[in-house]
Amino acid sequence: MSEAVFAELKQAIIDGDEDIVEELSNKVIDESINPVDAVQLGLIKGIEVVGELWKAGEVFLPDVMMSAEAMKVGLGLLEPEIAKLGMSQGEAKGRIVLGTVEGDIHDIGKNITGAMFTAAGYKVFDVGTDIKAKDFVSKAQEVGADIIGASALLTTTMSAQKEIIDYLKEHNLRDQFKVFIGGGPTSQLFADEIGADGWAESADQAVALADRMLGK
Amino acid sequence: MLPKYNVLTQEQVEIIHNESIKILEEVGMDFDYEPALEVFRAQGQKVEGNRVHFTREFIEAKVKLAPAEFTLHARNPEHNLVCGGENIIYMPGYGAPFIQLADGTRRKSTMQDYDNIVKLAGASKNLHMTGGTVAEPQDIPDEIRHLKMIYSSIKNSDKCFMGSAEGRERAEDSIEMVSHLFGGKEVIKEKPVLISLINSLTPLKYDERMLGALMVYAEAGQAVVIASLVMAGSTGPAALVGTLALQNAEVLAGIALAQSINPGTPVVYGSTSALSDMRNGSLSIGSPECALFISASAQIARFYDVPSRSGGGLNDAKIVDAQAGYESMMTLMAASVTGINFVLHTAGILQYFMAISYEKFMMDDEMAGMLLHYMKGFNFDEDGLAFDAIAKVGPGGHFLTQKHTRKNHKKEFRTPQLSDRSAYEAWSKESLDTNQRAHKQWQEVLANYVPPVLDESIDQKLLEFIANRAK
Repeated sequence: MSEAVFAELKQAIIDGDEDIVEELSNKVIDESINPVDAVQLGLIKGIEVVGELWKAGEVFLPDVMMSAEAMKVGLGLLEPEIAKLGMSQGEAKGRIVLGTVEGDIHDIGKNITGAMFTAAGYKVFDVGTDIKAKDFVSKAQEVGADIIGASALLTTTMSAQKEIIDYLKEHNLRDQFKVFIGGGPTSQLFADEIGADGWAESADQAVALADRMLGK
Repeated sequence: MLPKYNVLTQEQVEIIHNESIKILEEVGMDFDYEPALEVFRAQGQKVEGNRVHFTREFIEAKVKLAPAEFTLHARNPEHNLVCGGENIIYMPGYGAPFIQLADGTRRKSTMQDYDNIVKLAGASKNLHMTGGTVAEPQDIPDEIRHLKMIYSSIKNSDKCFMGSAEGRERAEDSIEMVSHLFGGKEVIKEKPVLISLINSLTPLKYDERMLGALMVYAEAGQAVVIASLVMAGSTGPAALVGTLALQNAEVLAGIALAQSINPGTPVVYGSTSALSDMRNGSLSIGSPECALFISASAQIARFYDVPSRSGGGLNDAKIVDAQAGYESMMTLMAASVTGINFVLHTAGILQYFMAISYEKFMMDDEMAGMLLHYMKGFNFDEDGLAFDAIAKVGPGGHFLTQKHTRKNHKKEFRTPQLSDRSAYEAWSKESLDTNQRAHKQWQEVLANYVPPVLDESIDQKLLEFIANRAK
């Protein structure tokens, strides 16, 4: 019985159908099915398939992003249930706080990156756009993040990526988090200049870099 | 489907027509082949020596007999092609004696090259037929070369292909071979399977070889492209309109001959006119003048209500470089958007027809795919308007997680096969240019290609026929 629900959840993630994921997640809760298993054997199995298909070039960006959205819906319902029952969810590959820096409202690149990290098995905390350095850091502390990912599309807002690093240094937190930066005008050179831990040109490469850096 | 655009007014087309008639009446044309002269005599045309003077009435009445469109039949009926109307048919280059290699060197082409290009065309999603003489197999004795080429075209793909235009005998051989494949001459007379390339000898001549082949194919009900290649400035006047009138006169006379032999013979109005470079005299096909000739020819053929043929990815570049790309796109796009139906030389050509390149072939295949997508134009149904998706996302959101996006992008967007859209860093890992990527790609396509199965008894008959003819 529960196996069938897990298989359906997995398929709904692969299909990127958040409505069905919502319906099935509620069913898990209503029928007292083990929510940790629903996440591990349903949602995560599904997103793993999507990740593999993406690497093989068999699915497109909207597919991955819809699967990641559906994943978010499922976790949004099941995680509180897991907490309520005092169960442990099992470890994600890593935790990343992601946002667009202060003064910058461009978010397509950040959204794509978030979806790619989700599809790769990371737990993503998207803090949105126009985010101050201190807000990046407080969210990272709150969720116990491994990585802070800061996006900037404008040459005028790139400096705000440096502000995050400066903020961490000022508060003696620099060794707590890896800081990744990205966005059109940025480069490896700029990342080195401001002392960021990682830079990637595309969402795919950012995931690969995180895998290497966190030893996953 | 995008509307086909015109480069001439109706009045201008009529001027060209009348100029051509004047050339045919007053100057006349030479036909170096007695059977053709007999046909014209029997039709009441004035013949003096090899020179034929035509009347307007004869030419106009005969051209009216040519069908507006016809179906060319393939071994696999899924690959049958309608030639004419809004349809476009892309195929490889024709007749190049050399292979230009990716490393910049050039060598004579071989039978292996012929086989390979037929296979690449067979595998292509964008090329509709495998063409003819896709490489001149210089390692095969001339007497049996055409037999080997036809066999390769039959064996290595199940798409339509072209017959030999090298004289009466080789045209007859071509017909014999396809008769084995399709079940007899009576069958193919009703359903044409071969199309062959008949060229005039500009200015104002047809030679024995081409006329012999034309007459054989017309008698057998097979399709012929009747084409003229005027080199403006050398074999034609240094005038674009005069060149078109000259080309048109030659093609009209050829069509009239085919229709006199067998009324209703499927013919294609052909043009490869280009110019002679005025510094070194060489043919220049990657030129804006050539693109104008192509465009005007599509329209002139429409005026006569017959299908049209021109060149495709034409260029004068020596290697697969930027010149090869920009010139080819100009001519292939001109052919495609002005309504040419039969696009010979779509893929592979370099060096004004002197060389075929595998890498250029892959590049042109990509361009053909781009143009097929371009010509589809716009989709105005509900999905095309996408109002619901726009309303759902609203201000400030994004469309990447909309069901509409996921479903519709596959219809509305084309995924490139060869072009590189990756970001700079990703590209710079290997830093491959188009020539290098194409070099890898054609080898992969060839390695993965499985030719469609040919019935063993037919295969045997074809091999026996070739063995007998080779004796």
